[in-house]
Amino acid sequence: MTQPSAFPPTRRMFLEHLAGVGGTPLLLAGMSALGFGIEARAAAPPPLTGGAKGKSVVILGAGVAGLTSAYELSKAGYHVTLLEARDRVGGRSYSARKGVRQKELGGEEQVCDFDDGYYINCGPWRIPYWHRGYLHYARTLGVGVELFNNDNDHSYIQFDKGSGPLAGKPIRKQEVAADVRGYAAEILAKQINQGALDETMSKGDRELFLSYLRNEGYLTGKDFKYIGTEGRGPEINPGAGLNPPVDSKPHPLSDLLQSRTWATLQSVAGYDQQRTMFEPIGGMDQLPFAFARHLGPIIRKGHVVEKISQTPDKVTVAYKDAKGQHGTVVADYCIAAIPLSVLKTIDMQVSPAFKQAMSGVSYALVGKIGIQMKRRFWEEDHAIYGGHVYYDDPMIGSISLPSTGWLGKKGVVLGYYQFGSPAAQVSAKSHKDRLALAVAAGQKVFPQYAENAEKSFSIAWHRVPFNMGGWAEWSDEGRKTAYPLLNEPDGRIYLAGEHLSYLTGWQEGGIESAWQQIGKIHKRVNA
Amino acid sequence: MTIRTTLIIGGVAASLLAGPALAQDGAALFSQSCAACHQPQGQGIPGAFPALAGDAFVQGPPQQVAHVILNGRGGMPKFSGDLTDEQIAAVATYVRGAWGNKAGPITAAAVTAERNAGALPPPTDGQQAH
Ligand SMILES: Cc1cc2nc3c(=O)[nH]c(=O)nc-3n(C[C@H](O)[C@H](O)[C@H](O)COP(=O)(O)OP(=O)(O)OC[C@H]3O[C@@H](n4cnc5c(N)ncnc54)[C@H](O)[C@@H]3O)c2cc1C
Ligand code: HEC
Repeated sequence: MTQPSAFPPTRRMFLEHLAGVGGTPLLLAGMSALGFGIEARAAAPPPLTGGAKGKSVVILGAGVAGLTSAYELSKAGYHVTLLEARDRVGGRSYSARKGVRQKELGGEEQVCDFDDGYYINCGPWRIPYWHRGYLHYARTLGVGVELFNNDNDHSYIQFDKGSGPLAGKPIRKQEVAADVRGYAAEILAKQINQGALDETMSKGDRELFLSYLRNEGYLTGKDFKYIGTEGRGPEINPGAGLNPPVDSKPHPLSDLLQSRTWATLQSVAGYDQQRTMFEPIGGMDQLPFAFARHLGPIIRKGHVVEKISQTPDKVTVAYKDAKGQHGTVVADYCIAAIPLSVLKTIDMQVSPAFKQAMSGVSYALVGKIGIQMKRRFWEEDHAIYGGHVYYDDPMIGSISLPSTGWLGKKGVVLGYYQFGSPAAQVSAKSHKDRLALAVAAGQKVFPQYAENAEKSFSIAWHRVPFNMGGWAEWSDEGRKTAYPLLNEPDGRIYLAGEHLSYLTGWQEGGIESAWQQIGKIHKRVNA
Repeated sequence: MTIRTTLIIGGVAASLLAGPALAQDGAALFSQSCAACHQPQGQGIPGAFPALAGDAFVQGPPQQVAHVILNGRGGMPKFSGDLTDEQIAAVATYVRGAWGNKAGPITAAAVTAERNAGALPPPTDGQQAH
């Protein structure tokens, strides 16, 4: 600002001014820019000013929710202890790399033997641009991010269940996208030219709409015909000298319709799937590791919480450590940042209504497999760089190519990502059979798949101890009855985690839930 | 999520992933959708997945069994979006009569009544991605 004003405007005054001159849109933009967070609700941790008054907090679970709570509270001067059941931090923010071990309930132990530097993000793998809490910590704790390719035009759609000549083989997404858009626009334009909208649309608007359709569908000539477009990919690429591109021909409309491949075109249109999408460089465990470096001895790994009890002034948490020794931690407050699927099985001194509410949600079934490939054949032979192969077998869901290590030697492919009943079904198989299922599917898309698959690691989150589920799935009823109760403390016990947010299934939900709960504790301490 | 009209799975539009037309065979449905946790003989895993063999709840009032399969509860996933009322009736009937359990069948109509009571939508083709 060049001219200092006598009365610096308050944020509120400034916003009122914006609303006056630009109406609501400008107001919203201004609110977002000022950190009111219209995009992500909260853009920064709550300022915990005013001192910790010597209070102590015991935090349970070192996923992003517990780590965020511990980091902010310890920075603000609280005496913090963080108990984590596993011998690692991160919870679901987990990458399988060389030496990582996992034993599912009812399954065999797997030991990851990927080559050095290769990994699969077993849980979270992508960060939408509007998840500002995650990006805040990535920025301030020095965790680099790279782009995650969430939409690849040149990738394949493999639909075995459709019919017609395009079913049962890999089709490039760009061909399907250009062709269905072209045909749909052509049909609509022809209808308009035959007077279909004469009654309902003004002449001026009709003309503009026709221009839009011509543009949208690459339509040609007076009869608005779709004859293909270079955007669907040429038959032969343009070259040097006397080698112009050779145009490709569109698929017949009926073939496209019957293949059902068009149904994938909306797949990343949702707000939480749009570009820009990020991933942390080096794996999803990097942010937890960065938190842990700051927290040091505050984190006590290998401590399984068995009982949480409270009096009017204190909370006592009983645990069993990795050596089988029992012990307790006594603190002024407790934040239980453990998934409800697990927490509800822990002996906990809370009101019957609170206890009942913990049963008001269920957890998603979800499975993934990472397959280390000897060679990046999807890049070298198919010119596919990251993104998803859409597959209509629900046991596969999608095959995703890595958005890291571009042009390198090897790579780890996500061989399936399935949900619901199919995830239950796949998880009942041994790892060897899961791999066989994934490889058979991949082989249909890429002839090089099976011969390059050298190492693998699979996970079924609903069978993973200390998680027992992918993410919380609230019903409308649960949101109304159980959810509000769990967001408030029971005595001195507070809950945090992705399940206490409208961002379930995202790390952002865990982070923003932690911000909310530590804000409440701090307010209480300073009341 | 209520505002989302098109569901997405791992980047794939969910409508494509409509499950296979599962047979209404209770035993087959059990091994497909339940055995991964409750184990092939319904014996469960202590401390994690309850045994359904010999379980009083399973052999109790039909609507409570239908309720928990439809809605889930903690680590027990909900199947309202995956299985039809006929399939839920078939699998519930199976677990109530297998491994020495001795409770009577559950009808699809009873499951539908429980679904309606909870205002649960009919099965969709999948879930959103994360
Ligand atoms: C397959 C999959 C894909 C996903 N994709 C994405 C994505 O792309 N992007 C994204 O942002 N999010 C994604 N998510 C969601 C994300 O993983 C979660 O929302 C987030 O990690 C939850 O963090 P949390 O701290 O709430 O819970 P958790 O990470 O589960 O942490 C809970 C902690 O509590 C510990 N604990 C449990 N029991 C005890 C006990 N008795 N004593 C002591 N400690 C205990 C656990 O060991 C764990 O460390 C995905 C999740 C899954 C499963
Ligand atoms: C992801 C693992 C998992 C799968 C798959 C699963 N369950 Fe469960 N089930 C559980 C868990 C965990 C509980 C205990 C829930 C709780 O109260 O915390 C449970 C509880 C139950 C109960 C209530 C038992 C009692 O005594 O309260 C019934 C009935 C049941 N499951 C039936 C089924 C059926 C039928 C299927 C298949 C359609 C199925 N389950 C699939 C994990 C699973």
